[in-house]
Amino acid sequence: MKSKIPLSSLRFKIAVPLALAITFLWSGCTSQRPVSVTKLPGAQTLVAMPGGGLPESSLAPAGESIGFDELWIISRAVDSESQPAEDSPGTGALIAEVDNKEIPMPLKHTDVRASVSGYIGSVEVVQQFLNPYSGKIEAVYVFPLPHNAAVNEFIMTIGERRIRGIIRERKEAEQIYEEAKRQGYVASLLTEERPNVFKQSVANIEPGKEIDVTIRYFQTLEYADGWYEFVFPMVVGPRFNPPGTTSGIGAVARGAAGTSGQQTEVQYLKPGERSGHDISLRLDVDAGVAIEEFRCATHDVTHESPSPERLTVALKPGDSIPNRDFVLRYRVAGEKIKSDLVTYQDDRGGYFTLMLYPPKELKNLTRQPVEMVFVLDCSGSMNGRPIAQAKAAVARGLKLLQPGDSFQIISFSITASQLGPTPLEATPENIQRGLNYLDALEGEGGTMMIEGIKAALDFPHDPERLRFVCFLTDGYIGNEAEILGEIHKRLGASRIFSFGIGSSVNRYLIDHMAKAGRGAVAYLGSRDNAASIMEDFFERISHPGLTDIAVDWGGMQVSEVFPREMPDLFVGRPVVLTGRFQRDSNVPILVSGKVAGEPLQFSIPAGPDDTNTTHRCLPSIWARMKIADLAAQSIYEPNAAVTEQIKQVALDYGLMSAFTAFVAVDSTRQTEGEEGATVPVAVPVPEGVKYNTTVPEKSESQNE
Amino acid sequence: MALTCGRLSAQPGADAAVQFRAVDIYVDSKEQPLAAYQLEFSVTNGASAAKIAGIEGGESLAFSEPPFYDPRAIQHERVIIAAFSTNAVSNLPKGKTRVATIHLQTSRVVEPEFELKLEVAADLNGNRIPAQATARERKAQ
Repeated sequence: MKSKIPLSSLRFKIAVPLALAITFLWSGCTSQRPVSVTKLPGAQTLVAMPGGGLPESSLAPAGESIGFDELWIISRAVDSESQPAEDSPGTGALIAEVDNKEIPMPLKHTDVRASVSGYIGSVEVVQQFLNPYSGKIEAVYVFPLPHNAAVNEFIMTIGERRIRGIIRERKEAEQIYEEAKRQGYVASLLTEERPNVFKQSVANIEPGKEIDVTIRYFQTLEYADGWYEFVFPMVVGPRFNPPGTTSGIGAVARGAAGTSGQQTEVQYLKPGERSGHDISLRLDVDAGVAIEEFRCATHDVTHESPSPERLTVALKPGDSIPNRDFVLRYRVAGEKIKSDLVTYQDDRGGYFTLMLYPPKELKNLTRQPVEMVFVLDCSGSMNGRPIAQAKAAVARGLKLLQPGDSFQIISFSITASQLGPTPLEATPENIQRGLNYLDALEGEGGTMMIEGIKAALDFPHDPERLRFVCFLTDGYIGNEAEILGEIHKRLGASRIFSFGIGSSVNRYLIDHMAKAGRGAVAYLGSRDNAASIMEDFFERISHPGLTDIAVDWGGMQVSEVFPREMPDLFVGRPVVLTGRFQRDSNVPILVSGKVAGEPLQFSIPAGPDDTNTTHRCLPSIWARMKIADLAAQSIYEPNAAVTEQIKQVALDYGLMSAFTAFVAVDSTRQTEGEEGATVPVAVPVPEGVKYNTTVPEKSESQNE
Repeated sequence: MALTCGRLSAQPGADAAVQFRAVDIYVDSKEQPLAAYQLEFSVTNGASAAKIAGIEGGESLAFSEPPFYDPRAIQHERVIIAAFSTNAVSNLPKGKTRVATIHLQTSRVVEPEFELKLEVAADLNGNRIPAQATARERKAQ
């Protein structure tokens, strides 16, 4: 029988006498580092708010300008009677030398440890925060993760102590964090701002102290044209938000907090500036079959292959600036590639993923004429290398068109323009016209992507040709939901093949444009061969896709399969399906569909999975795909009940979502002093992106 | 199964409606090395009284990793936590050891009431061993 016993302080009714309580010594549990305070003799001084979190009244000129040096001071009002020494906690004095381009930031290092088994990746990210200032701070870091990441673990480390964060409804987690921050407790909060953009807040970091935050997630890898692809994004690119929006992700200069008018902001380092934040990454791949080849075009890596099936790569120490996506591609023995069912069962039931490869027969068939619409993002963020890559890809595409095809070129930034009023026949003369038009395009202005969508999808469809829309963009916008909603509404018989152009693109948007457009996605990094990527795309569309796909799951009694709407299968592009099942079955799975109007059927072996223990991540992957499916549904058919469903799935499976968050509080000790300043972690603009064309000097409202 | 119940009394003197408190969880396996445990800590009078805001690992190296929890249970301010260690017997704790710390945000108005149940304790061979779980608030620093 249970009983409740009121006590005057915490006492539990227990069967044996309490032993001595363990006394915990805080001082032994956090690293103590010297605070860096540099004075610049005779330097120009400028008092500003590197973090933007200090009250305006705290700002005061501290010296005269002399033109070449710049001195930043975070200054907080202090009680004159109790004013401590300049380098003691509470003064809030930070002096940093900028002429040597090193800007102190509270994020010191990110360490990434990833492993891949088959096509499922497991990634651990450790963010090491260090307060380099002489006053207490709250560090805020907006960072990317893959949009299909099932984030299910969060640990805050203070010295040797590790506190596991709790998944909660987002508002509740935010309230707990804010209250802990206000009362002086060390706390951390992880929120999702977009499926691929997260915000880490760490409160009450004392001067010189270090706090680590560990995040773990699972994901399925992409597979295209014979290559698996592991991607770790390192920086959020500067987004453009259409006038009037406030729910976007604003790009602002370092120290210009609050000037974008958007609910989430990313601060960017100016050209030539560098924070001390660096990154290390190690990836272990166990492909299960021989790895024939691998490539990492984005970074300098070391590698070793302990066996033909295994590969380990790591970033070289000299390539540690987190300013572009890490992309590793590897190819496995071709004949071994086949559709593969992976299952896992626990007390909640059965879960599976199936990577469904297109049947070989597709490669033997040829396509019908196409109406190819190339849509180029010519906004400011594409200026330079990205637009050059996009133009090179389209130029190659024009040359690959065949007699009988037609084409159109549309460019957009603030408005859209196009080569001609209607698509042109793919004659040598017209292709030359297209190349000339392409030559003149430049990247400048905002990204009104909606104009490009309308221009590409709204003109009458030629019933004699398949319409393919090639959308080339970096995806640096903050109104993703609006764009995906418009594609869903206007798609008709068109198919969208999106190309992400650049070193750190918005993969959530670009992937989902292809999904909503029932096409496929490709990425063209700043170091990739543009012509080759376009040739792969033409190879894909040179054969008909498998459409109207239906799956007979045999005896598995399958339910809740995602994606709910089965995509078409194209040559070289498998799709991952995930769902729940009630029982094991040896009856083969039967896949049927149509190829150029003719029926086609093939089967996939099923049966109990003897590697159950290695697939513990499948429930998380299934739940993440269900959340993504519900989120897409809420874009196309807004419904308040969907929000509740997303929240409940996320809570039941302990996952991050737009409506859940992880919070961790160390309640054993209150830090001294008042709430510290908020210091956003400023990041570099992605490699190849120009600061001057993407980060507004003035606030967006001033620009309007 | 060991069961304990208790209450955290509101602490006077602060202006906030809530406060933060840490409850240490101990398992006493007497003379037997403790290799695994599963226990349940629950707030029995609801989230308005207390909300769990973190779970910390224990004092022994064998259980220093913060234990995993059941995400479905925590929605009801109930944590089912479990941990096991594959360390050598000589590295496993004996007697009373702190296996976890629960960090809480508690109300100053509603006195939180708790229940602690030790579901199982086991040795390195997976055999159930007699043990008791207790909890105690850690004094804030």
